[in-house]
Parts: sequence; C-alpha cells; structure tokens
Amino acid sequence: MKKTKSSQYAAVQHTNGYEFSQGSGYTLPEYDAVIPDAVKSGEIEHHRILIVGGGLTGLTLACSLAQLGVKCVLLDEDNTVGVKGASSRGICYTQKSLEIFDKLGIYERIQAKGIQWSVGRTFAGQDEVYNFDLKAQGNFSLSEQPAFINIQQFYNEGFLAERIFELGHAQIRWNNRVTAFSIENQVATFSIATPEGEYKATADFIVDATGSRSPFHDWLKIEKTIKKGDDRWCIADVRFNTHPPKERHTWIEAPFNDNRAVWQHLMADDVWRIDYQMAPDADPAYVSSETQVRERLAKQFGAETKVDIVWVGPYAYRSECVNAMAAPAGKSEVFFIGDSAKVVSPFGARGGNTGIADADNLAWKLAAVVQGRASRELLQSYHAERHEAAKTNVQVTNRTARFLRPAEGIERIFRDATIHLAKKHLFARSLVNTGRMAVANPYSRSPITAPDLPQSHSVQNVSFQWGNQHIGHLNDLLRWADGLPLLLLWHAPQSHMASLRKWARAGRVRTVYVGEPMGTLPASAQPARFKETIQDPDGRIAKACGFASAAGWALIRPDSYLAARGAGLDIPTVALALARLQGASRSGAPV
Amino acid sequence: MKPKSPVALPDPVIPSLADPDGFYEALLDAHSGLSHDESVAYNARLVLILAHQIGRQEVLMQSLALAKA
Repeated sequence: MKKTKSSQYAAVQHTNGYEFSQGSGYTLPEYDAVIPDAVKSGEIEHHRILIVGGGLTGLTLACSLAQLGVKCVLLDEDNTVGVKGASSRGICYTQKSLEIFDKLGIYERIQAKGIQWSVGRTFAGQDEVYNFDLKAQGNFSLSEQPAFINIQQFYNEGFLAERIFELGHAQIRWNNRVTAFSIENQVATFSIATPEGEYKATADFIVDATGSRSPFHDWLKIEKTIKKGDDRWCIADVRFNTHPPKERHTWIEAPFNDNRAVWQHLMADDVWRIDYQMAPDADPAYVSSETQVRERLAKQFGAETKVDIVWVGPYAYRSECVNAMAAPAGKSEVFFIGDSAKVVSPFGARGGNTGIADADNLAWKLAAVVQGRASRELLQSYHAERHEAAKTNVQVTNRTARFLRPAEGIERIFRDATIHLAKKHLFARSLVNTGRMAVANPYSRSPITAPDLPQSHSVQNVSFQWGNQHIGHLNDLLRWADGLPLLLLWHAPQSHMASLRKWARAGRVRTVYVGEPMGTLPASAQPARFKETIQDPDGRIAKACGFASAAGWALIRPDSYLAARGAGLDIPTVALALARLQGASRSGAPV
Repeated sequence: MKPKSPVALPDPVIPSLADPDGFYEALLDAHSGLSHDESVAYNARLVLILAHQIGRQEVLMQSLALAKA
C-alpha cells in the first residue's frame, strides 16, 4: 500500500469542487478524516462487510450495498478520490457501466459532465485502415444509455462518494489505512491507522478493492497468473487551442511517433488523452519528461498548436489474474474485485469497466446473504461468473497487446501483412486489433443460471410503458425490486396465482406483468390480476431478454443478468430458478 | 472423411486439388524474382488470404497442427 506522510493528516477542508486547474492537473475534492470510537476505546470493531480500498470498484460496491440498505464500512487510505499526483486513470465507460451507474443514481451527472462518442478510426501511416460506428452495431441502441461515455475516473468516484453520503448505510472512512492483517484462532483481524491513532477490526465478509498492488495477495498467499511485457507507453492528458473530432483515433503505426502506436481520445473539460507507444524497455523518466512530451505533441498536432499539459505518466503494461476470486481468511471470506483480481492492459477499456461489473455482481449476493434471504453458497457464483469474465478480459487484452507489440521476426511480418491487406481488403480489417471494446461479459459456467440457458447475458436497460403511458426503464423495475429477483410474465394463467402470491408474500421475488392494461381485453380473456403491469409495445424487453419467438417469462437478477426464461409459465421450473438465486445447488434443492 | 469426427474435415491424405502441378508451378512462379524477405512477406499475406478463403476455424486449427507434424 502507498506510504502516506503524516503531514497529509493536517486539517482537511471539505469541498465538492473538482475544478479543472489549467496546466497543472486537477484539484480533487477532500473529505474529512473519519476517526472511529474504537481508536479511543481500544475495542475491536466487528463488521459484517468491510471493503478495503475506495477506488472505482470499492465505491461502486459500497454504493450498491447502500442502495440495498446494507450496512458496510469502506476504508480508504487517503482523503480524496483519484490518486494524488496521478489523477487521470480510466476514461472510457461502457454502456453496462453506465447502466449500473444509472441504477445507482449518478448517471445524469456523468452524462452532463462526460463526452459521448461512437465513432472509432484506425490508421496506419497516412492511411485510414478502417472505422466503426458503435451506434450501427449490435444491440447498443436498445439501451437507454449510450455505447460509451468518456470521463475522468475521479469524477465517477466523486459522484459515487457523494451518492453514498446521501444514501447512508455505507460509511466511508477517509484516512483509514490498513497497516497489518493477521489470522489467529480462525479470526482475521485488521490493524488500521488513522490520523489520531490505530484501531483493530474484524469482519465476516472482506472485500479487497485495494487495486493492482494488493497487499492481500501476500497476506493470503494468493496464487495468480502473471505476464509481463517490454511494451512501454507514455500517457499525456492535454488541452489544446484546437478541437480534434469527438472520435477515438488509433494509429497502429504513427509517422509522428517513429511508426509506433498512438491513441487519441477525448474526455471531460476538453481534455484529450494521447497515448504514445514507446520503444521497448524505454526509460520511463526520459520518455515522460516535458520536453519529450511537447516534442511528440508538436509533431502530431503541429508546432503552432498551443498545448496545456494536464498530466503525464509512463506505463509498463502487464497482465495478472488471481486463480480464484475469493479466498478463506479464517472464518471470514475475502473477495477480490477490480484490479485486485485482475490487471489488464488498458486496450478496449477492460480494466475499470470489468471492476464495476465485479462490484455489481457481488453486491446483491452479499446483500441477500447478509439480509438472510440466501445461503452463503450463493457467493460461490461470484468466482464462477467473474473469474470467467476476468480470464476472458485478460486473454482479449493480451491478444491486442501482441498485435500492437509484435515480437521481432515472424510476428512483425504477419502484422505487416495484415496492415498491407487491410488497406485494400475488407476481410483483413477484422484482424487489425487495436483493442476490442469491453462488453458485459456473458456467464457460461454459472451455478445460478438455469441449465437450459447456454449462457446468462446482461439484459440492457430498455424502455417500456407504464400503465399510464409514461416511459419507464428496466432499471426502474430493478430499483423497485430492491435486491430481489425480478420475474417478468407475459402470460399468467389464474391457476398459477397462488404460487406467485406465496413467493411475493415470502419476499422471494418481485413480479411484473407485461401485457395489455387491465380492462382492455374481454373478461374471458383477461389474465390474472396484477397490481404491477407494464406494456412492451415494441417488444424491446422481450428482445433484450433474448426471446427469439413469443416471450413467456423471464427471471432477471438484481444485476440485470438473465437467470432463466421460458415460453409457458411453469411453476416448478421458476421455483428451481429462484432457489438457485438463493444459493441452492444447481439441482435446485430448496434452501 | 472420418465418419466419427464431430466436424467433417477434409482428409489430408486424399488429394483435393484439380491441378496440383499447375498450382505448384504458379506458387513457385509467384515467388520468383522475390528476395528472401519479400518471399517471407508474400507467404504471410498468402496465409492470411487463404485463411479467409477457408473461413472455417476448425479447418484452420487442424491445418496449423498438420503443418507442425
């Protein structure tokens, strides 16, 4: 963990501003240090859920738990969001992340501050090799959220922190730094330093959100798979007096960077991120010196372009993935989320976005267990689902890294051949790999997915009509379900009403009827009476649930992944699917 | 064809080229006059084009293994 000077603990002032300060980085918000009573009393605190690390994933998890009314404590080693002196990290947020942020109530702020984009262009030398427009691709248009918004990571972290202050339940303890961790007699105990002294705490569920240099890996002797390369990059966040297009531009071979790769991307405050690929094993201090950076920028944008350097940092990319997403620590259990679980090169925005998804996946499961609605077995699905996603993301980014930094010899020859062909032939463009943009990873080996579903996919935040014709979105229903699975019914015979009512009374599921408003059908054809009825006139919900033909029923998890679906409502099948979401084994023994 | 194979792959033992000698000659002719480096680059492009023409992942994987054997 980062060493902190004691002077940092000088009186901090609370401010909500993240104002862009020209040429010298950002002024980040500062929060008051939190000193728990245990510092004075010397008592050992005990928490059900303790999150270590207040970055993007830790804050997303804390905010998700707070929204579900679950108490948790989050320890953050400093008193701000972002990283001091390195305030610009992730910038590119996927539709899935934006949907999660919408569910948590901070999307409007992100939308107002960030920059939407959908067009990407790839160049080699002077030639454009290919371009894409995400708006024209796949199902992006089904969701209320756009394909991508670019925004500096610390904004999202700040929005999450402020949302947590509003919601309560979750307590963020600024200036609380974990200094030691021990397991004695099956009890895991943390030593935590604050500006006014140390205290100790234990927890049932510990979440490691400490990031890419997690101390838990050593403490718990975690096995992981690591791959290091010699590829070096220099990232420059800059502001110009000119305005490049709001597009993602990538050069595989940039004439203005000694024929190495360059990335150009816009974010909030009119700041551009320009990533320069450096010579293998280049000296980080030299390549990120201001003279070098200004020289490269002048070559790219012309000497007459005025440039403010906001932030510069050298990067050596590596990939790393834990072999298991959770580990026992005495009687407690430790979960790895975000960069503490896997580290990837930034190609395709697969770092932060998958960390947000880790948090969204874990939150409702922890909530269900802590609130007594599910057994601890449910938590095993966190590893099954998010490890599959982590491995996929590591593989996808490693493939991009290999394309962008081919080994000398035949790898370089094949890349030259690919670029040569891609300039003339459509087919070869699919081989050009400047990053495959992050998606909501599907789960194909999950113990809580119905066996007849080949995989569980994320159901997008599609729109529908309420009974009064107003427009609603799936996230409205998920928020209303408040951590319970959401059962959508397109058909509901009267004979099944008893079971549905029983589940509702037992607090196992929230049910919504998708159909005609009551009273519009002849009495004989009227379905069972439902208080909650919506209409799906364009079939968007059915499409997002993956129904190829007539929709019957769909069971959607609180993280909006599909758990089960069917044509005709079949009570035993739905009962098994519900039991799985409460931690029953795949065979469906009720808990 | 191997009847029990889950995917029907062309058996490499059975010749499939209508004019093997003609193809072989054309392949050599394509390389004539090229330096060693140019030939290697040409072959790389050719492999990528042929992969596209074949277009079946399982056949390509089998071919990669065959070339090693």
